[in-house]
Formats: sequence, structure tokens, C-alpha cells
Amino acid sequence: MNLLSKALITLLLISLTSVSYATPEQDKETFQSFYTERFPDISKAEFGDGVYALDQDARDQWEAMNDFPPYEDDLEEGETLFNTPFTNGKSYASCFENDGENIRQHYPKFDSKRNMVVTLELAINECRTNNDEEPLPYKKGDIAKISAYMASTSEGSEINIATPTSKGELAAYEAGKQYFYSKRGQLNFSCANCHIQNVGRKARSETLSPALGHPTHFPVYRMKWESFGTLQRRFDSCNKQVRAEPLPGQSEAYRNLEYFMTYMSNGLPVNGPASRK
Amino acid sequence: MKLKALSLIIIFGFFCTLANATTATDAAKSIQLAEDLWDKTKSAGHEWNTIKPLVAQAKQALESKDFATAIELSNKASQQAELALIQAEHEKTNWLNNLPK
Repeated sequence: MNLLSKALITLLLISLTSVSYATPEQDKETFQSFYTERFPDISKAEFGDGVYALDQDARDQWEAMNDFPPYEDDLEEGETLFNTPFTNGKSYASCFENDGENIRQHYPKFDSKRNMVVTLELAINECRTNNDEEPLPYKKGDIAKISAYMASTSEGSEINIATPTSKGELAAYEAGKQYFYSKRGQLNFSCANCHIQNVGRKARSETLSPALGHPTHFPVYRMKWESFGTLQRRFDSCNKQVRAEPLPGQSEAYRNLEYFMTYMSNGLPVNGPASRK
Repeated sequence: MKLKALSLIIIFGFFCTLANATTATDAAKSIQLAEDLWDKTKSAGHEWNTIKPLVAQAKQALESKDFATAIELSNKASQQAELALIQAEHEKTNWLNNLPK
């Protein structure tokens, strides 16, 4: 092998390594820059409004609807549930720092003792089981209402997921990243195909929303659902749309995906719960 | 003459039963193969939601003794599972092409 061949192979290896092993910080910069460069008239924080940041007609309708938000009753119920003591007299507040107020922006977080990602909904259920209560079903219902109330106490606080650095954190982050960019289902679509490559374009009558800001406003009250749903419930909808089988709530793959996506939105303000079509 | 005819009927009936039994076994085998491949797609994290209903319909056809339909549906399920496995294998590296540039 001559010197030129060796040099070319070395260059190729270096370029491959730089693509697959970008640090989470570098990934975040590239991810956020992609959107701010593609939509230079939209501020970073506005991406938390999803499709309503891109489509003025849809935004006008959404703002009119928000004069009387459809989720108000469920949000109040979430607050009541959050403040209702368990049978042992303790409450959700006893399980969380700052009594569970203004903490949404720190979830999901990595639990290094258990070597796993913990989402807010998982933490809510662990709070219940640690206090001898039955866990709630994931994705919708009471758990989404409680999570929505907790999110509402964080309104305006910036998403602040600690940068993955340890081996366990990086493994979870990379798994979530790979899930996001992998094509799946019979229609062979990845999350990125819709929410990065085709963001702002139409899929039938719907404008495809930016992935930047997706996690800021969940749980979301969707008119289609007529109830709150967590981010993982939305993952289910996307999977069904591409004809992939949805995963169980709080499965490792979903938690890792939520971890990756939320880290990509670091610095954006929490603006949930929100309503969507 | 009557005896010959009776023998022929018995032999014909025997082969018909045998053919039917073989088809039932084939259908069951075909469904098992589809289920095995389907399990592999789950392990690979690339399960398609189109496979489960095909397997369920194939099982229903088997119960109704509609063996040809059972085989046809389970074959479809197997084909889709194989494609899902190809997708899983392909995406082990292809996902890098979807990164924002």
C-alpha cells in the first residue's frame, strides 16, 4: 500500500469518526442551528410553539382557541391529584426536589445508580409505588394530568438537561439519537425524515412541525385525543403513522428517545401544557 | 363392479383426508414461521404494526379450516417480517445519513 492510499484511508476514517462520534454538545449546536438557519425569522424560543411558529393561519386559529384553553378542566384536576395525599399521608411533593414545583425543565434525567433515564412520568409513578400506591397507566389519563400540572409550574423556565458525559449517559443518549434518525415501519420513515428534512412542508394537509421544541410543551391536549397525552403517547401516534408497532410506555427505547430529544431542546423555555389539533 | 367402485371411493376418501391433513400441517408450520420471524423483528426493535393483524387473520383462517388463506396470509406476514429485518440491518449504519447537515 503506497503512502497516498494510507493517507486517503486515514482521512476517510477521521471523517467517519467525526460524524458518528460528535459530542452531545456538538450535536445540539448542529441541531439547533439547522432550524435557526432554515427559519431565520423565527426566534429559538418560538420553536416551542411547534407548527404554529411556522404557519400563520394555523397560529391565528390556535391563538383564538387559547382564549379558552380546552385543557383547563384537566389541568385543574391534575393540580387536585398532585395535592391529594396518599393513604400514608405523604404526597407527590415529598418525592421531588422543590416540592415538585418548577422542576419539569430538568426531566428526563439520568439516574447513574440505576444506569437508566428517568422521565417525569416514571418518577411520578415511582413516587406512588414508594408510597404503597398502585402505579398509574402511562401515556394518558391521570398521569398526564399530574405531569401537565407539574409542567405548568415550570412555565418560562429553560429546558436544562445535564449534558451527557458518563459512559451510561452517553450510551442512553446515543441509543435515543439512533432511534430518532432510524427509519422504521412499513413506510420506512424516521422521526428526522418528517421533523428535520421535511420540516415546514406538508404531509397531506398537515404542516410538519420542527423537532426543536417538541418536548417543551408536553403533556399536550390534542383535540384528536380530547385529553392530555404525554410525549410518549405522541411517539405512539408517529409510529402508527409510519406503520411501526408502538412501544410500551416508559420502555427503554422511548425513555432514551425522550432524553435525546429533550437535550436537543436545551435552552428553550417550557411552555406546556399546550393544545394541539 | 360394485366392489371396485367402493374400493375406489374408499381410496379417494383416504387421499382426500391425507391431503387435508397435510394442508393443515402446512398452514400451522407457515404460521409458526411467520411468528418466529415476527419475534425477530421485535428483538431487532423494528416491528411493523402490519404483521400482527396478518398473523391473527392467518390463525383465524386455520381455525376455520381455510388452510389456503391461512398459508397465504402467514406468507405475507413472513415477507413483511423479512423486510422489517432487512430494514433493521440497514439502519444499523444508514441512520447516520439522516443527521442534519
